[in-house]
Amino acid sequence: MILAALPALASAEEKLSYNRDIRPILSKNCFSCHGPDEHGREAELRLDIAEDAYLGGESGDPSIVPGKPEESLLIKRIRHSSPRRVMPPPESHRQLNEDEKNLLERWIREGAEYEGHWAFEAPVKPELPPGEEAQAIDRFVADRLKKEGLQFSPEADRATLLRRVTLDLTGLPPTPAEIDAFEQDTSPDAFEKQVDRLLASPRFGEHQAVAWLDAARYADTNGYSIDGGRHQWLWRDWVIKAFNDNKPYDVFLTEQLAGDLLPGATEQQQVASGFNRNNANTHEGGTIAEENLVNYVADRVKTTSEVFMGLTMACAQCHDHKFDPISIRDYYRFFAFFNTVGDASHDGDGGINSKPFIHARSCLSTDEEAATVRADLEAARADLAKPDPAGLAAWVQSARADLSTAGKDLSLIPLKAESATSPNGDPERIKIQGDGSVTIDHGDYAAYNVMCRLPQEGGPIRGLRVEFLPTEKSKGKLGFHGAKGLEQNFVLSTITTSVSSFPALNVDLNAMLPMARISASGWQNGYGPERVRDTTPTNGWAPPTGATTPHFITVTFDSPIDPVTTPYLTTELMFNYQRGASPAHFRIHAFRGNDDGSPHPAEITAILREGADNLTAEQQQKLEAHFRATAPATAALRHRIANLEERLSVLTGKHPVMVMNTAEKPRLTHILDRGLYSSPGEAVTPGTPLSLPALEEPGDRELNRLDLARWLTRKDHPLTARVHVNRVWLAFFGKGLAPSAADFGVQSPLPSHPELLDWLAVDFVEKNWDTKALIRSIVTSRTYRQSAVAGEDLLKRDPSNDLLARGPRFRLAAEQIRDQALFVSGLLVERLGGPSVKPYQPGDLWRQISHYGSSPATSQTFVQDHGEKLYRRSLYTYWKRTLPPVNMAIFDAPNREVCSIGRSATNTPLQALVTLNDPQFVEAARAFAQDLLRKSTEDEARLKDAFRRVTSRPAAAEEMQILQRALTRERDRYRSDPAAAASLLATGESPADPTLDPAEHAAWTQLCSMLLNLSESFTRP
Amino acid sequence: MNAPLLLDRRAFLGRSACGLGGIALQSLLAQAARGESPNPELFRTIAPKAKRVIFLFQSGGPSHMDLFDGKDSLDKLHGTNLPDSVRSGQRVTGMTSGQSSFPVLKPIAPGKRCGPSGVWISDLLPWTQKIAGDICVIRSMHTEAINHDPAITLANTGSMQLGHASAGAWVSYGLGSENENFPAYMVLISQGTGKNPDQPIFSRLWGSGYLPSQHQGVILGAGREPVLYLDNPNGVTRNQRRATLDDLAALNQRYATEAADPETIARIRQYEMAFRMQASVPELTDLSAESAETLELYGPEVRKPGTYAANCLLARRLAERDVRFIQLFHRGWDQHIAITRQLPNQCRDTDQPSAALVMDLKRRGLLDDTLVIWGGEFGRTIYSQGTLGSASSGRDHHGRCFSIWMAGAGIKAGYVHGETDDFCWNITKNPVHLRDLHATMLERLGIDHNRLVYTFRGLDQKLTGVEPAKVVTEILG
Repeated sequence: MILAALPALASAEEKLSYNRDIRPILSKNCFSCHGPDEHGREAELRLDIAEDAYLGGESGDPSIVPGKPEESLLIKRIRHSSPRRVMPPPESHRQLNEDEKNLLERWIREGAEYEGHWAFEAPVKPELPPGEEAQAIDRFVADRLKKEGLQFSPEADRATLLRRVTLDLTGLPPTPAEIDAFEQDTSPDAFEKQVDRLLASPRFGEHQAVAWLDAARYADTNGYSIDGGRHQWLWRDWVIKAFNDNKPYDVFLTEQLAGDLLPGATEQQQVASGFNRNNANTHEGGTIAEENLVNYVADRVKTTSEVFMGLTMACAQCHDHKFDPISIRDYYRFFAFFNTVGDASHDGDGGINSKPFIHARSCLSTDEEAATVRADLEAARADLAKPDPAGLAAWVQSARADLSTAGKDLSLIPLKAESATSPNGDPERIKIQGDGSVTIDHGDYAAYNVMCRLPQEGGPIRGLRVEFLPTEKSKGKLGFHGAKGLEQNFVLSTITTSVSSFPALNVDLNAMLPMARISASGWQNGYGPERVRDTTPTNGWAPPTGATTPHFITVTFDSPIDPVTTPYLTTELMFNYQRGASPAHFRIHAFRGNDDGSPHPAEITAILREGADNLTAEQQQKLEAHFRATAPATAALRHRIANLEERLSVLTGKHPVMVMNTAEKPRLTHILDRGLYSSPGEAVTPGTPLSLPALEEPGDRELNRLDLARWLTRKDHPLTARVHVNRVWLAFFGKGLAPSAADFGVQSPLPSHPELLDWLAVDFVEKNWDTKALIRSIVTSRTYRQSAVAGEDLLKRDPSNDLLARGPRFRLAAEQIRDQALFVSGLLVERLGGPSVKPYQPGDLWRQISHYGSSPATSQTFVQDHGEKLYRRSLYTYWKRTLPPVNMAIFDAPNREVCSIGRSATNTPLQALVTLNDPQFVEAARAFAQDLLRKSTEDEARLKDAFRRVTSRPAAAEEMQILQRALTRERDRYRSDPAAAASLLATGESPADPTLDPAEHAAWTQLCSMLLNLSESFTRP
Repeated sequence: MNAPLLLDRRAFLGRSACGLGGIALQSLLAQAARGESPNPELFRTIAPKAKRVIFLFQSGGPSHMDLFDGKDSLDKLHGTNLPDSVRSGQRVTGMTSGQSSFPVLKPIAPGKRCGPSGVWISDLLPWTQKIAGDICVIRSMHTEAINHDPAITLANTGSMQLGHASAGAWVSYGLGSENENFPAYMVLISQGTGKNPDQPIFSRLWGSGYLPSQHQGVILGAGREPVLYLDNPNGVTRNQRRATLDDLAALNQRYATEAADPETIARIRQYEMAFRMQASVPELTDLSAESAETLELYGPEVRKPGTYAANCLLARRLAERDVRFIQLFHRGWDQHIAITRQLPNQCRDTDQPSAALVMDLKRRGLLDDTLVIWGGEFGRTIYSQGTLGSASSGRDHHGRCFSIWMAGAGIKAGYVHGETDDFCWNITKNPVHLRDLHATMLERLGIDHNRLVYTFRGLDQKLTGVEPAKVVTEILG
C-alpha cells in the first residue's frame, strides 16, 4: 500500500508520542497475543497497559523498564538472533523492521509513557490556530498546510463549485439556469445563498438518506435464504424527513435506538425504532430458533456499535477483542439491550412482516400532495372514460378477425406425460396415469414440471392446452383450495413452456416460449387467462369455482415449434396463490391449427361474434368497458391510474412497518462461549463496555435501550459526535478526517487532522447536534471550495489528498449516476417517499436463483413496474438483498445484508456496459434528445445546452468539433437506415414524440448517450 | 485490473499537460486507493501449481454415503436405529429433530471400488467412476453449519456470517486478471432436475463483501445476453459503437488532461475492455467450433444453454481464455424427500459433464495448471428422513462429514483422503475443514492463506478466517 501523508512522524528532536508513533507498531505486531484478549494471551504478558508491561509476563522480568531499553525484555526479544526467541515469532507472519525497532527503543529511553487511545477520551475543544481564515475548519487545515510548506489551491470556478455542492447536497446536478444565476450573483454571500437553497430542498433528505440506508442495512427483503419480501419503506420515509427537518442528531439517534421506549412514544417514534429491525431474518425451514435469534441480535450489536460508536464490537462475540478493550462480557451486556425485543426466530414469510410490526402513516404524506393526486387520478380516469371510437373500432376489428379464424384447422393431440415433478411434499401424491394425464392427491404450493414427447408426424405445433379434470379427491371439483370464493378450486399463477432436443425434466427459463395468445374455457371473475402472463403469485387463471366438468387454458406460441428438431416439450405449471390452490388432475394437449377458445369473457365473445351493426347500447357499453380495461392501447393510462391509486393509498392510509418493542417475557442473555448459541454461560444484564464512560444502573430495573441512547448522547461521550462528524466529513471529501469511518478502535489509522475532528465534534454538540449547520460550515469552508485540479508536484507530494491542499474529487455514487441521467433527460419523477419501485432490470434473474414455486414468500420473481415507477429516484429502487439492483451493484452499491459505511468507487468495464446499454440509460438519452430537439432548432445551441446539462460547464471549441462530427456521422447513419432509427427509438416505455423526425431523433439519442457516458459526467468535480 | 497503464487506442503520450509520468503515477495511486492490490506478486509467495480454479459447486448438500462413501457395513446396518453413542450430542435440523427413530438407510444404489485408491463410487456416477484415476476424493470434509444459508455462505466465503468476500473474489483480489477480455471471476448457474426449484442461492456467494466490488463474480448467463447489458441497444451497430467510443475517448482524454484526472484515463481503458467483451463473450459462448466428438463427450444437454453440461463446457472455454476463477453453481442436491427418485436425476445431470470436463482439460494439457473442485456445502444423514423405505423418504443435512473431489494442479490423482465411521456419521481419519479446503486451494495458486489479507475495520480479514487453517499437504503431489 502507498502510505498516506498522515500525521508526520516525530522529528529527531520531538519526543515520541505513544498514540502516534508506538501504538500502531505494538497493535499491529504484538497485541493479538499480548493484548486485551484474555483467551489468546501468551506468556501472561500484556503490552497494551503500562503497569502490566512494566511488570512483565510469566518470565518475571519486566518487559519494559522506562528509560532503560537495555534492561527491557521487549527490546531483547525483538532483537533476538534466534528465530525461536525473536518476537514476533516468524510463524505469526509479522515482522518488525529496523525503524520500528529503533522507535520502540527510543520510546522506552524517553520514558515509555503510555497514552489512552485518543478516541476513547472525550474530545476537548482545541484552541483555534492563529491565522487569517474566518472559518475554524480552514484555520486547522491552513495551519497544517503551513507546517508542510503548502498552501490552499485556488477556489474552484463557480460552475464547478455549484456542480460540486449541488451533487453533494441533493444528489442531482445543477441546471444551467441555476449556474447562470450563481455566476451572475455578485453579492459577497452568493455561494452561501446557494447552499441555503440546496439545504432547504426536499432532495437534500433523499440524497442524505442513501448513506444512512447503507449504514442501517435497509432493504426490502429478509436477506437470509429464501429472502422473501418485507415492508419497511415507512422507516425510509422517516429517515428522509429527519434529514429534511434537520432533526438534531441526538434525537435522530435516540428515536432510532429507542423511539418505542420514549414516554408517550408517537407513531413516528415507533417507526424510527425500525432501525433495529432492518437486520436480515430468515424463514428457512429447519433452521434452529436460538441460532437465528442470536444472529439477529448480533447484527443489531454490530450495526449499532459501528454506526454510532465506530467500534467493531462484533469481534468480541466469540472472544475478548484482540485489539480494543472490549471483553466478551462487555459484548453480551451490550447484546442484552437488544435481546429484549419480542421477535420470532422464523418469521416474515408470505410477504407479511416479521413481528413486531405496526401499521402507520407515512410521515412524508401531505394533504397538498393527496389533493393533487386525487385531481390527477380523476383526470386520468376521465381520460380513460373518454370515448375513443377509433381505438375501439381498431380493437374490435382485430378481435373479430382473431375470433373469425379461431378454431380453424384445429387438431388437438393429447400428450402423454413422461415425467412430472414437484419440488416438495410426498412425491407419491403426483402420479402419471396410464393415459398420460397427471393426478395429484392434495394441494400445495408447487411448481409442477411436466415433460411430454411431441408427435413427430403432422408438422409444427402451434401451442398447448392444459385440461383440468375433476376427481374424487377434490370432491368432484377441479382443485383443492379451501378459501372462500375459491372452494375446491385452484389458481394457475404462471405457465412456462420450453422445448428441447433431449428429455428435459425442467422447463428452461432461458428459452421460455413467448405466448402470443391465451384463452380459457371459462374463469372465475377476476382470474382471467391473461393473468398467467406475469409471475405475481397472487394472481393467475382460475376456472369457475364449483365447476364439476373439465376446464382448460390454451396457449398459442409466438411461432410454431418443430417437433422434429425439438421433440420434447416441458411445461411448468405454477400454483403459488395460497396453500392448496392447486389442481387435482390435468392433461396436456398439443395442437395444430388455431385455438378455438376466446381470450375474452364469454359475454364479450358473444357480442364480438354477433356483428358490428346491430349492437344494443348496452352491448356497446360492455364492449367499450372491456376495451378500456384490457386493450393494449389503454395500458399506459391504466398503469397511470393504478400508480396514482397506490400513491393515494400511500398518502392517506396506514401501512405495515417493523418496529422494536419489549417482549412480555424478554429473553435472558447469557455469555455465549465462543459465540455459540448452544454454549450459554453466565447470565448478564444490559450494560455498556467498561472502557467507555460508565452508565449508572438504576437500582429498581435493568438498563434499556433508552438508557443506552441517553448514554450515547451524553455531551462527554468520546465517540458519538466524533464518529458522526467524521461520517459527515466523509460525504463531502470522499473520506473521513479519521480514515476508517466505521472503526475508531485501537487499530484504526490516526486522523489526518485530529484537532479539527475534535473541534468539529465539540462544536457540533455545543450547537445542539445540528447536522445542517455542520454541513453548512463544511461546504462553505475554503477547504471545500478549492479547485480539485492539482499540479504534478502536489499530486506526488500528497496523492490521496490527506493534507487537503486541493479540493476533493470523486466518482458519483450508483444512485447519482442513474438519477442524473433521469434528471437531465427530464424523465425523473420526483415523489417524496413511498414503497419501493421496480424499474427496468434485464430478464428475471430473481427467478433463476430463488425459491419460486416452493414457497409462499414474495419477491421470488421480478415483476417490472410501469409508468412513473420507472423514473423515480434510485433510493426508491426495490432492494432484494440476495440480488440487489444490478445496475447499482455494478457501481459499488452494497448488498445491504450488513451495515456498510462508505462505498468504494471502482472503475470497471461492466459500468461502461450499464451506462451505454441499459434501457434505463438509453431511454434517458432518447428523452434527453427529444427535449433538445423541442427546445431549439440549432445544432450548436442544442449541443452547448446538452453538454452543459451533463457537465455543468460550457463545451470548449475542440469539444464542440468532436460533438458536431459525431452528430453528422450519426445523422448519416440513421438517415440511411430508418429501421435502425425506429428500433433505437423503441427503447423504453415512455412514448417517443411522433412528430419528430426519427432519423434526427435517433442521431441525437446517440449523441446524448455519448454525453451521458463522459467520464466528467460521472465525476463530482 | 493490474495491467500496465497502456492505451491500445488513442495513445495520449505527450498530450498531457502535466506529463504522462504524473498521470501514470496518479493512476497507480488511485488504483491503490480504490483497494486494488497494487501488485499481486506480493501475495504469491509459493511456486504456483494452478493458474486458475474451476469450482463445480453442488448446491444443496450432495449425499456422501450415496455417492462416494458407501460401505459394505451399511448393508448390515440398514434399518437399524442410529445408535445414540454415534449421534451423541449432534444437533440435527428442525426438520428431523422431532423424529422418533433414526433408521439407517444404506446407499440407494450399489457402487464399485474404483481407480488405484479403490475409492467407492456409486453406480449412479458411472462417468465419475471412469475418472477415478484422475481425481482425489476427500471423504472427511466437515463444517459446523447444518442449514443451507449459513453452510453455503461458509463454503463460499469462509464464514457463516454475512458480509464476507467470496473465495473467487479473494482470488481476483490476490492475483488479478490474466486476460484483457474477461473479468477475473465468472459465475455460471444451473438448476438440476433432482429437485426443482431447490434452495435459493445468493449473490453474496460470489460477492466481493468488504473487498472492492470489481472483484465480485460476473454472471455468465444463458439467455440472449450472457453478460448483463452486453448488447448494444437495438439500432446501434458495432461500427457505430466503435466510432462513439473513439469520440468519447477523445473527449475524455481532453478532460483527463485539463483536470489532471487519472480516473478518467482508467475509465477509457474500461470502456475499451467493455468493447472487447462485446466480441469476446459471444465468441466464448459460440460452440460451433467445438467438434461433434467433444460435444458428445459432455452429453446431449451440452447443446442447451444454461444446463450444467453446457456450463461445464463453458468452464473449459473460460479456462482456455485464462479466466482466473470459474465457478458453477448447480442447484438440486437437497434430497430431504424422494431421494430414490431425485438423486438419480441429479446424478444424471452432473456425472457425465463433470467427468467430461476433467477428461477434456486433461487431453488439452489444461489440467496441469487448473484446479478443479467438485463439492457442496455439507453432506446428508445416514438415517432416513421420513419412514424408511417409503418413496417419500430422504436424508436430512449433515455437516460432520461429507465428500468432495478435486483434480488437477498437482493434486494427487487416483487418491482418497480421510475416512468416516461405519455410519458415515463421524470422521475417523484426516478431517478437512472447509477452511482447509480454501487454504489448499490458495496454496495451489501460490498463495499462503495467512498472507492474503485485506484490512477492514481495523482487522486483517482472511478467506480462511480467524480459526487456524491448514493446507492438506497429504493430497498434494
